[in-house]
Amino acid sequence: MRVATDIGGTFTDLVCLELNKQTGKPTGVRVTKSDTTPSNFEQGILDTIEKGNVNLGEIDFFAHGTTVVINALTERKGAKTALITTKGFRDVLEIARCNRPDLFNFNFVKQPPFVPRYLRFEVEERMDYKGRVLKALNMATLKAILKTCTEEKVEAIAVCLLHAYKNPEHEIALVKELAKLDSSIQIIASHQVTREWREYERTSSTVLSGYVLPIAKKYLDQLKEKLGQQGLRDTPYIMQSNGGITTLNDVKNNPITMVESGPASGVFGAIALGKVMDRKHLIVLDIGGTTAKCALVENGQVKITTNYKIEHSRTQAGYPIQTPVIDIVEIGNGGGSIAWIDEGGKMHVGPKSAGAMPGPAAYGRGGKHLTTTDANIVTGRIHPDYFLGGELQPDYTSIEKAAKPLCEFLEATKEDVAKGILRIANSNMVNALKLISVNKGYDPRDFAMVVIGGGGAMHGADLARELQVSELIVPLNAGVFSAFGMLMSDIRRDYIRTNVITLVPEQWAVIQSTFMEMEEEATKNFKQDGYANKDIKFTYYTDLRYAGQEHYVKVLVSDFDANTPLDTIIQYFHKAHKKQYSFELDTQVELVNFHLVAEVEVEKPDFPKLVVQGKTIEEACFDTRAVDFDDLGIHETAFYHRSQLEPNMKIEGPAVIAEKATTTLVTPLHIVHVDAYGNLLLTEEKA
Amino acid sequence: MEKFTLEIIQDALVATGDEMFQTLQRTSMSPIIYESLDYAVGITDAKGELLAQGNGVTAFLAALDAVVRATLEKFHEENTLNEGDVVIANTPYAGGGTHLSDVSVIYPVFYTNELVAFTVNKAHWTELGGTFPGSVSTVATEIFQEGLHLPFIKVREKGKVNEAIVDLIKSNVRLPDSTLGDLYAGIAAAEIGARRVISIIEKYGLDTFIKAKEDFLDYGERMCIEALKKIPNGVYTGTSEIEDNGFGEGPFPIKAKITVTDNEFIADFNGSHSQVKGATNLAFSGLVTGCRSLFKAITTPSMAANGGAFRPMKVICGPGTIVSAEAPSAVSVYYEVLITAIDLVWKILAPVIPDKLPAGHLRSVCATFISGIHQDTGQFYIQAEPLAGGWGASSSHDGNRGQLSCGSGESYNIPIEIREMRYGIQVEQYAFHNEGGGYGEFQGGNGQYVDYKVVSNGAYVTAAFLGEKTKTWGLNGGHDGSYNYFLILRKDGTQERHSLGTNIALEKGDTIRCVTATGGGYGNPKDRPKDKVLLDVKNGYISKKEAKAFYSVQPRE
Repeated sequence: MRVATDIGGTFTDLVCLELNKQTGKPTGVRVTKSDTTPSNFEQGILDTIEKGNVNLGEIDFFAHGTTVVINALTERKGAKTALITTKGFRDVLEIARCNRPDLFNFNFVKQPPFVPRYLRFEVEERMDYKGRVLKALNMATLKAILKTCTEEKVEAIAVCLLHAYKNPEHEIALVKELAKLDSSIQIIASHQVTREWREYERTSSTVLSGYVLPIAKKYLDQLKEKLGQQGLRDTPYIMQSNGGITTLNDVKNNPITMVESGPASGVFGAIALGKVMDRKHLIVLDIGGTTAKCALVENGQVKITTNYKIEHSRTQAGYPIQTPVIDIVEIGNGGGSIAWIDEGGKMHVGPKSAGAMPGPAAYGRGGKHLTTTDANIVTGRIHPDYFLGGELQPDYTSIEKAAKPLCEFLEATKEDVAKGILRIANSNMVNALKLISVNKGYDPRDFAMVVIGGGGAMHGADLARELQVSELIVPLNAGVFSAFGMLMSDIRRDYIRTNVITLVPEQWAVIQSTFMEMEEEATKNFKQDGYANKDIKFTYYTDLRYAGQEHYVKVLVSDFDANTPLDTIIQYFHKAHKKQYSFELDTQVELVNFHLVAEVEVEKPDFPKLVVQGKTIEEACFDTRAVDFDDLGIHETAFYHRSQLEPNMKIEGPAVIAEKATTTLVTPLHIVHVDAYGNLLLTEEKA
Repeated sequence: MEKFTLEIIQDALVATGDEMFQTLQRTSMSPIIYESLDYAVGITDAKGELLAQGNGVTAFLAALDAVVRATLEKFHEENTLNEGDVVIANTPYAGGGTHLSDVSVIYPVFYTNELVAFTVNKAHWTELGGTFPGSVSTVATEIFQEGLHLPFIKVREKGKVNEAIVDLIKSNVRLPDSTLGDLYAGIAAAEIGARRVISIIEKYGLDTFIKAKEDFLDYGERMCIEALKKIPNGVYTGTSEIEDNGFGEGPFPIKAKITVTDNEFIADFNGSHSQVKGATNLAFSGLVTGCRSLFKAITTPSMAANGGAFRPMKVICGPGTIVSAEAPSAVSVYYEVLITAIDLVWKILAPVIPDKLPAGHLRSVCATFISGIHQDTGQFYIQAEPLAGGWGASSSHDGNRGQLSCGSGESYNIPIEIREMRYGIQVEQYAFHNEGGGYGEFQGGNGQYVDYKVVSNGAYVTAAFLGEKTKTWGLNGGHDGSYNYFLILRKDGTQERHSLGTNIALEKGDTIRCVTATGGGYGNPKDRPKDKVLLDVKNGYISKKEAKAFYSVQPRE
């Protein structure tokens, strides 16, 4: 049996894949949900295990994704952290990048640093940009620094020195000495977190890593211990933000890599599904209660970026974390997003959300604002028996009340306001989807769209139509897809190093030796976890730009070896630059970052196929009601239980397919096919 | 239901602005564009009314629509615009002009042979020739010394690039690759915008598009009027000054009279000093752009910029003043005058609307241009950048530290690690200073020291730090802050203090210390809670002595 657990904001999910002991083929999937327990996250996991009646002694593989890191950051529940940096530069952390995204607001407030100035210490030392020592490291002041740290009850120390990305020698010596002087404080240095340049971003990454270090270590240790007590034989694997899993020991050294593990595993689940279905180009959309997240998958690969920031918005600069995170665009539009009218009389939807409490007006828990979910009810797109997992009936009086001020102001009927809300919400999501596709030079017609999360299937058909994607896929278990993705992930580590060189033949040796060094580092790390050389698969990327530019384009160097011609890499870059930015230049090409992906493949199960029992479509249909499809008209529409659908069934729109966790809207233009795995495939009828 | 369609078109226009903005940032070759984001992109209708704008800097708010209107004035009848044309312009005295370094790319958008819109951008190119590297001089007396003037010319005609113009640019600038790279980045951004505008029109139809943009402009105006109603009506006046013109002459007063009614905002700068010898002059079109940014800050700061939101604002000033300079006056340091003008209106109105405007901030771009030959690569470099300093405190919070001036916005400092690789410079410190000031119930933000040590074999620095003799201002009982200036610390131990300086020769081992001001304080210092004062002392933002002298708080020894 293989198990994955995913801690989300509201629920902790468990997916258990049962395998036939003889054949190893999957026989079925069990899904369990229980409430997330923020004060004691591992309790939520134990609850799902108990609720799902899972015997940990029979588990061969256990993967786990957790929000413990992002929670500690956003709720400011991390450790008291100090910073040690190069003399003259302790204010780098607070000066940050000096930008003001809220640029027309002269009364803005800058976000405060995670380490106050009195805990930012300096040591004498200096490297130049080539990594040569200009001033030797002087550690004479460390005792005094540690004394202050002890007095101030500091729990973690972040060390970040100038140009350490190039030469970490001084950082290594400092960490060693600090550990020797005081073993009670946890220490992390920038070279352990990132080997990329930009001192503010690196300092911020290191400080935030230090900030979550004690709490994450403690959590991981307890998790291991408690699962062990319940009979789990092997240590669990942990999901990271780069879409791969890793060993618990590895993540303990640098827990910040877990920061966005939830969204990452959802996207990797979609990729795994794509592989089974033979779809390599995907747009993945996850619509939850408050936000929608999307990512683009090309050739079965999703881009990894280190330009990640927490608490970044249109008005705030946020805090950068240079850790590999899959490239996701997130917008403030979900089922709970509130419709409101500004002073100029314009209606907006989101980013404010009614959340789970009080929730949309239809919940009848005192929600006074009309939300996207309410609009879906008004248009008849959600069946009352399937509202909120069938747990309660929509409160129509409450909807009426919430709609009234909007109707009066806009001089429109409730139905028109609802359609307006859906149009605006869809338009917001289309803009986000364009950001990752059209704006980057991709044609959506080459992509299939996979929708997951509670709201994905509700809006998917309209969005697919607007974007003109080739097909829409609503996977089975779309609601717990993040956990599902973990079962399909490999062990993956990303190594990224800044080393700026011009791409000329004389530099070939540097390119070769840098990748070699990185391979050695990766091999060494994997060896510590007991993996052999031959199991490791390397993939090589380079971040390239025209000399003089600042931003780069990531280029995959396929089959990199000693014979790879430099010209091939340069040609790849010209092509990629033209695709993304519409022009190429006759200028020298510079390499900025080396990016090595080291993966160890985990044996993965197939997706289980649904058993055909010979049910009919008529049996699955449970109601017929009027549904408003906006510009496509109001239609008498058949409603189906998803649980009653079987492979090879075909349903022509208009239709609504209901299940506990979500509802799939099929417009009059769409046809649904149910595939062998129980996924719904929606395509537009040829006119 | 049409109402909602119009809104969706408007959102699509704003999204297009964002996309053009990113394209320019990611493809540009000038750090002042891709790090300082000293540029703006926009979409106007066929007549030059601003529909959407993406800004890196606040100050280019009147730059894009005006430059399109000036383009339309030049190209009409026989000499008309055709599909595939691209016009470039950097004229300072007309069409939203600022200084020669800011070059606009104007791209007419055609739909079935009809001119339907423009996409446009304006960006600070690091090099455009002229007497000194970086095309900025504090001692220029005529525009001819400030670089190459591109007076609304077609760099592309019916889809074909005019190679003669490209060659002309190439042979007149110091960093031709970078300058031409910026040109192509500008064209690429405009082109992408044009494509999106056309696809919007294709989807919704031209009539609906036109209706949406009219509706959008009216919406902007409504939003603005609502906000204007909340500002107390009245006539407010004030004076500020430009301390120095780069020739040791000055100060030169700038005067403003602000009239606020429920539906109008008039800024009258008549009575300001006449245009001066030197480059500290601002053309009238630059003044309008500055006033728009302050006006937006107090009316619709969170709304996407659109032309309708500026309809209630008027700027008045007769020709030939220091804020309405005419040809051929030098203007390359226009930005210091622009910020002084913004700061003047700010200071006049802050006591009336302290919830929208804090006390005085560093009030200077503190721009430095350092040039030389890189010690390792042998290549010519110019490091051009704005510097951060302290902002003023407000009625609700302490002043921010480490922020660029109001003229910058989504602009970034240059990372030390990138700087030291690219330029012949080593940074010795990058830290808050405590040169005093900014005391109040809310404390002004500390200014900074940035020390650049020259490691190339010689270098030159050009810089303008106004505020060398005038402190940033406190508000409602808060104390004034401190000064902006820069020092040259010679390796022989001598030092010189400057406010404006052009091409000051430096030797290897000399250090330039840039000092940016601490912001003004807000309210009576006696009202500041003791624990806040003690924490400031612990953090070293103020000294023990200051705590005692200005806050009557005695920290423990």
